[in-house]
Amino acid sequence: MSDIRLEVKNVSKSFGITKALDEVSFNINKGEIHALIGENGSGKSTLTNSLAGIYHKDHGQFILDGKEIDPVNQVEANNEGISIIVQELGTLDGLTVAENIFLGHENAFVKMGIKNTAAMNRKANELLKKYGFDRIKASDMIDDYNFEDRKLVEIVKATYFDPKIVVIDETTTALSREGRDELYKHMKRIREEGNTVIFISHDLPEVLTMSDTITVLRDGIYIDTVKSSEIDEDGLKKLMVGREVTGAYYRADYGEEVSSEVVMRVEEVSVPGIIRNISFELHKGEILGFGGLSESGMHEIGKACFGASFDRTGRVVLSDGTQINDIPTAISHSIAYTSKDRDNESLVMNQSIRDNICLPSLDKLGNKAHMLSDRKLRSFADEYAKKMSTKMQGVDQFVSNLSGGNKQKVVLARWIGKDSDILLLDSPTRGIDIKVKQDIYQLMDKMRKSGKSIIMISEELAELIGMCDRIIVMKDGSINGELKRSESLDENSLIAKMV
Amino acid sequence: MNDVKTGAFNKQFVYNLIRSSLPIIGLITVCIVFNILTHGSMWNSRKLILNQIYVVMISATGVFFIMTMGGLDFSQGSIMGIASIVVCMLSGKNIFLAILGGILAGAVIGAFNAFFYVKRKIKSFIVTICTMFLFRGVIKYMASNSPVAASMKVYDYDTTAIKLGITATVLIISFMIFRFTGFGIKLKAIGAGEKATKFAGVRTDRVKFLIYVLSGAITGLAAFVNIVKNGSATANVGSQLETQILIALVLGGMPISGGAKVRFENVIVGSLLYVVLTNGLIMMGLSTQMMQLIQGVIFLIFVAIFADRESLSVIK
Repeated sequence: MSDIRLEVKNVSKSFGITKALDEVSFNINKGEIHALIGENGSGKSTLTNSLAGIYHKDHGQFILDGKEIDPVNQVEANNEGISIIVQELGTLDGLTVAENIFLGHENAFVKMGIKNTAAMNRKANELLKKYGFDRIKASDMIDDYNFEDRKLVEIVKATYFDPKIVVIDETTTALSREGRDELYKHMKRIREEGNTVIFISHDLPEVLTMSDTITVLRDGIYIDTVKSSEIDEDGLKKLMVGREVTGAYYRADYGEEVSSEVVMRVEEVSVPGIIRNISFELHKGEILGFGGLSESGMHEIGKACFGASFDRTGRVVLSDGTQINDIPTAISHSIAYTSKDRDNESLVMNQSIRDNICLPSLDKLGNKAHMLSDRKLRSFADEYAKKMSTKMQGVDQFVSNLSGGNKQKVVLARWIGKDSDILLLDSPTRGIDIKVKQDIYQLMDKMRKSGKSIIMISEELAELIGMCDRIIVMKDGSINGELKRSESLDENSLIAKMV
Repeated sequence: MNDVKTGAFNKQFVYNLIRSSLPIIGLITVCIVFNILTHGSMWNSRKLILNQIYVVMISATGVFFIMTMGGLDFSQGSIMGIASIVVCMLSGKNIFLAILGGILAGAVIGAFNAFFYVKRKIKSFIVTICTMFLFRGVIKYMASNSPVAASMKVYDYDTTAIKLGITATVLIISFMIFRFTGFGIKLKAIGAGEKATKFAGVRTDRVKFLIYVLSGAITGLAAFVNIVKNGSATANVGSQLETQILIALVLGGMPISGGAKVRFENVIVGSLLYVVLTNGLIMMGLSTQMMQLIQGVIFLIFVAIFADRESLSVIK
């Protein structure tokens, strides 16, 4: 028998007039971790979603172990031996952990029309124990667990029945380092058992270390399949973008003095259960980084400084003595905030790009009688959306139709339009492809040079090291150290303070 | 996935075009059809029909604001009732005092709704269903034995000029505020995503509170028009008004969850369509039971067409 597990043959899929996948063909072997990479919109997720029965391909074939499969939904795909872990939450609120794990396969526990809950919980607990997730209890409601633990439950759900192919779609961006390690462990186990992992990720170093083979897609077209041992990061970038990625990625300077002028002082800020006694100063023209595990409380820092935290104590004071305690005050004093939860907190999804960009600047855009004109709003939104080179059909397009990277550009366009001086950026490059990332890094560098101050909160250590003048490391809700910008700074010294 | 979604976007565009033109096409069709069916008697009684539009259209303007930000208000009928009683009671003293009293009464009930909705964070349809019963009880208590009669002076104001003037003023001012100030954009944004709107610096709680007070006040003004028309307030004054408004707005193409697809024309076209439709059915000689049935079917069809499924979950 051959080593080929899955043959993808001439698979095409269109959404309306646009071809998301155009005659894609390649093979995936048994017992390998096969990475699928490409920029946003290159068709990676479309391909795996078609394979897993979430979408339906237009034509072409998926041949699994010599037999053509054509699943119409996820349960059917599971029965064929294909499972998928999606980027966002794939577990359902209001069900127990066990019910989530066996969703769609409850019949295994039903006898004469009655569900044997005890047997289901017992089986689920056995599985959780086998995976080493003892702290998760099968009979608990899934709602009681945080994002991280729910992802672990998804790992169990997607792999307990030893599927032939497990698709992992950009799951790692949402996980902390411990969660990632847990996931890596199980990816390797699946490979050792002779099964296949299809791994989608934007994080190229991760792709290179974890995968055996890498397939590159660009604009829905198959580009190449390479062995990860025979290529480096730059080579991958070149394949993905289709040309050499030139110019600086992170900022290049070292040893520049940061101004001693303090623009924002944070004093003894606490949010019950999340952060404790946080104090620091932000200087003019500085990029101040916050790093840590995702549960370290660092994501609350941005909200706290923006006046958006519930139940915050302590003081956030600007250089002119203004205290920031609510969002409108923060915005009127030139503070901007981009949330990690882009779709819920940064953008009004079912709303036009125009209104999203204009929303905080409405006072400025009105005439003397506070009246607004459509033309003015439109040209304002258009100017800043274009300045950020947002890919759009026009400013009347709804934000919900944009890709992750373009959504983030709209968020940034909004705050550049407001001409904010202090930017609180929480995970600004989360789930965004290389080219847009590079744009954002260059924008941050330009802002820094023009005297704006930035707080960057990120789970990506490389970008913290590459961009920040100082990095404050958080652990269990408190500050656990501070690192200065230097060429010798590496990820290990950060990790040492994080755990 | 920018490119990938292009096709879906085009389909959306055509769909939106159909959506936005359907109410106006419906209005013209209904006018023509009923005029043919009634052999022109509908056109002859246009004054009578017009007379029924004012109250619905004025009150619908306030509810339009509420629904734009994703809320609902079932207490409109009771607001109308209480405000009508106040107008009647004050009409003997001074007519302007009566108008002001009606507006104030409406605003107070609006504030009552807003307090429980905004401060106590109870869903708006629950709050307003409660206040609907509460104030209907008050109305029954005050007007059951005998209707509260207004002073005869109010009949002086029962002219088309005054009623139409009030309606037009409310519509024009509301339109200007909705279309040409930041208020409209903020309301639509709250309807489409409250949390993100809050993070964009809008004082969402303040806006929500204000809108309920405003909507109450507008209906309080409509109560004056109502009393001018009827001369007294019975125990049933204003009952079913909330349903009439809701049906009118939905017939006008208003998405029931509010948000970005809302247009001010919804109020005008919807109110006209509703009144013409009900009057047409009456002139056709349909029984009340039959009328309710037909209204129910039409309402359901329009809700199904205009429901914005992407954001239905945000009804507050």
